[in-house]
Amino acid sequence: MSDRAIVIGAGVDALVAAHLLKRAGRDVIFIEEKNTEDDGGWVPPQIARELGLELHIKTHDPWAVVPLPQGGTLELWHDMGRTVEALRRLSPRDAASWPQFCARTAAIARLFEQLYGAAPVNPLNVQLAFRVRRLGRQAMEDLMRLLPMSVAELLDDWFECDALKGALAAMGIVHLQQGPRSAGTAFRLLHHHVGSPQGVFRPARSNLGAALRARPGIDIRAGAARRIVVRDGRVSGVALASGEELAAPLVVSGTDPRRTLLELVEPGWLEPEFARALGHVRRRGVVARVSFKVAPCARVVIAPSLDYLERAYDASKYGRVSVEPYIEVISRENAVEAHFQYAPYRRADGAWDSDRRSELGELTRRLLSPHVGGIADARVDVQTPPDLELAAGWPEGQAYHAELALDQALWMRPLPELASYRTPIEGLWLCGPGTHPGGGVAGASGRNCAREILRSPARRAG
Amino acid sequence: MKRYDVIVIGGGHNGLVCAAYLARAGKRVLVLERRERVGGAAVSEEVFPGFRFSVFSYVVSLLRPEIIRELDLPRHGLHILPLESTLTPLPNGDYLAQWNDHDRNRRELARHSLRDAEAYDEFGLLLHQMARVIQPILRMAPPDPASLRPRELLELVRLGRYFEHIGEKRFNALWKLLTMSSADYLDEWFETEALKATKAASGIIGTLLGPRSPGTAYVLLHHYMGELDGVFRAWGFAKGGNGSVSAAIAAAATSFGAEIRASCPVMNVVVQDGKARGVVLEGGEEISANGVVSGADPRRTFLGLVGEKHLPEAFVQSIRRFKFRGASAKVNLALGELPNFTCLPGRGAHLRGAVSVSPSVAYLERAYDEGKYGEFSRRPYMDIVIPSMLDPAMAPPGKHVMSIFVQYAPYQQRGGWTDERREALGDAVVDALSEYAPNLKSAILHRQVITPADIERVVGLSEGNIFQGELSLQQMFFLRPAPAWARYRTPIEGLWQCGAGTHPGGGVMGASGRNAAFELLRERR
Repeated sequence: MSDRAIVIGAGVDALVAAHLLKRAGRDVIFIEEKNTEDDGGWVPPQIARELGLELHIKTHDPWAVVPLPQGGTLELWHDMGRTVEALRRLSPRDAASWPQFCARTAAIARLFEQLYGAAPVNPLNVQLAFRVRRLGRQAMEDLMRLLPMSVAELLDDWFECDALKGALAAMGIVHLQQGPRSAGTAFRLLHHHVGSPQGVFRPARSNLGAALRARPGIDIRAGAARRIVVRDGRVSGVALASGEELAAPLVVSGTDPRRTLLELVEPGWLEPEFARALGHVRRRGVVARVSFKVAPCARVVIAPSLDYLERAYDASKYGRVSVEPYIEVISRENAVEAHFQYAPYRRADGAWDSDRRSELGELTRRLLSPHVGGIADARVDVQTPPDLELAAGWPEGQAYHAELALDQALWMRPLPELASYRTPIEGLWLCGPGTHPGGGVAGASGRNCAREILRSPARRAG
Repeated sequence: MKRYDVIVIGGGHNGLVCAAYLARAGKRVLVLERRERVGGAAVSEEVFPGFRFSVFSYVVSLLRPEIIRELDLPRHGLHILPLESTLTPLPNGDYLAQWNDHDRNRRELARHSLRDAEAYDEFGLLLHQMARVIQPILRMAPPDPASLRPRELLELVRLGRYFEHIGEKRFNALWKLLTMSSADYLDEWFETEALKATKAASGIIGTLLGPRSPGTAYVLLHHYMGELDGVFRAWGFAKGGNGSVSAAIAAAATSFGAEIRASCPVMNVVVQDGKARGVVLEGGEEISANGVVSGADPRRTFLGLVGEKHLPEAFVQSIRRFKFRGASAKVNLALGELPNFTCLPGRGAHLRGAVSVSPSVAYLERAYDEGKYGEFSRRPYMDIVIPSMLDPAMAPPGKHVMSIFVQYAPYQQRGGWTDERREALGDAVVDALSEYAPNLKSAILHRQVITPADIERVVGLSEGNIFQGELSLQQMFFLRPAPAWARYRTPIEGLWQCGAGTHPGGGVMGASGRNAAFELLRERR
């Protein structure tokens, strides 16, 4: 009993945390609230090593196929030479800049890779200062300049080809209610670059979730948490929606921080100022998922220019769905899934309904039909942000649980007080994508959280 | 021929401040101003007979109190008249007023939202604290974080200690301000749209960014730093217009022995063996000096006056990508009578303050949407003052001058700025304002419209950016204007920079000029 740990949530971070706690000798119950098939994002190699997993990493080559307005496509490859070749046809200048751009961004991404493997450190930390200085002048200047800038500005500095800039900028805005001209989006391009080979700006996918789910040792129960039980300021268990109550001195939550602390925990345990700050954590969903039952195809990216993306974003500011959205195609086994952005969670013209859902599906079909074979009469399934909230537990449809913006990233994620995965309630921890490094990185938050729990002094945590 | 210690290029307020401090320290200083009058963007001109305008910059708020004190500017004629209020007229006929008087302000806010009235003091306190945290940083020559020089390392350590001293909590609060959009930031505090929008407006001034663009919350703070006579958040007019600010600084500089020559455009800086030796005027005259300080913006200084061939390639690249993107225009009106605001008719105290056309965050954001694709806003954000209400000498008896700051009017205008485009902007401004003050059109005697292209042409600010370069995070502190060259020095020995294109930049603040002077004096001691 005193060794019991309850992990609540969905997704790979909660699974990783559960298995690492199990490995450390805990008796783990995993309350799987949603069964999401989220397989995106870089998996820190330590996870496979520590858990002895054989992961299948799935990559696409070319990693992006960008339709061009004049016909034809721009293909971006893992092989640097091939990308340069493809670019040369559009812009010899960009082809010449490409290798250097890739090297410079990779240098910074390597620093992030280190930072993502542990609990976040405050920039006032002296060791961090030394680590940054060790990068050398060039990378250090790049880092300081890049971090706050917009992805549009960064790409305008380097390139002239609209299709290339659009395809890269998409990674700066993915799952964010901001456009490519918004400050902080260059950081996100780098964030999503972490773990990818130099010159590849799309995170790989893996079977991490499936592999962990298939792995024995954890008591996985489908169900939902109704309440996290707190006694005398410390956690004492979880009450399930089914009415069952499980006692445990350690509860790890992979659901979003706001829900965990403001809904599952009874009000009154948190300082009002802290609760207020938590209530301000932004988590606006802007993505719809549209699946077509067709055979796998190339990774088509519809993001023809920076202005195109910016205009797509403009609509969402006023609660409208983009007429010309950013769309990216991800192939699954027997379906093709389209990432549709921007589709705001709250529409200015009223709630999402079935008409609006199918309207969005048909728009996607129309935009993709020149690029994806057999889509014209394929069966379509649309998930709007409210649908995703329901199906995947994404609050307001936000896949990252807390928007990954500079004020909610790194040591500020989701709030400085929660950045070490510890909550003000003893024995209650956070491990979801709403914590560092979060969003688009698979399992790192879960691993960092488990490590912090196991390290915490005298096992007060449980 | 007279030999000078230092030549200051540009008689803008920063150049004058720098010259004054250098002269005070005993240097033989010569200031060279291109135009027929000093002041740069802080000038007063009789644009129409009998009507005097602060043609470009129009309020005083950021001018550093230590400069006012140390240069004894009041003795040299500086007299600041405080602005008492900000009125935001609303489309529904109501208004939101913010008063300097605390109780009155609270009552007015409570009329709109009790919650906001409650939150207002706490918000003010936080920003006040943040401004206090920033204060010492404004006086600092930003150390280069990659430097190995002992003095800079020491300063880096000191900076680290400073942040440690202010504590994690305040550091994080500052980080939020630096990285958030003003709309998101204000959403955490308030619910009244007009209040949020009017506050957010100060975050977008001078930049081609909208209230929902991250990074604008900091500019909000930048404008909160206005500190007059030690009172935070006080804005005011200089009696006689903003030209009197420049005139007072110039008088102080002259009293310390600096020489000022107007109508003396500099053609280039003389560089020999990597050292600045003096300048050549457009007339061909060469003036030599031991040092040259440029108050012009980084693009004009390095790509214009110095020339790429004298500079390292990486530095030139940094200067090339330094963003200007002027976004603001100015409309100056000579009025036969006062505007009559529908929401608050008659000649009330509100006419002695500012009027802000910023009814909602969405209004500002829509204005920005037009701006970012290279059109001027059809319904712009406007910040309006009527200086003749406080200083009747600005206009003939019974008549008035009105100054309208307009955004967005991007420098990069689709099709370029033409005379027709300029007048179309003027019409849009008058139309938009007339919705709130219907008598405006008939009250106008004369109209002057100044686009960013005009600002560039007349004042010499690249792309008409009023801050000599955008105040975005990647262009601030040790990155302003270029990494490793944020300490007022340049890659050319003996050439210094003192304009708003250096830290901390922007607004009629004078800090850049003062910091540059101190760095230069420290070097040459």
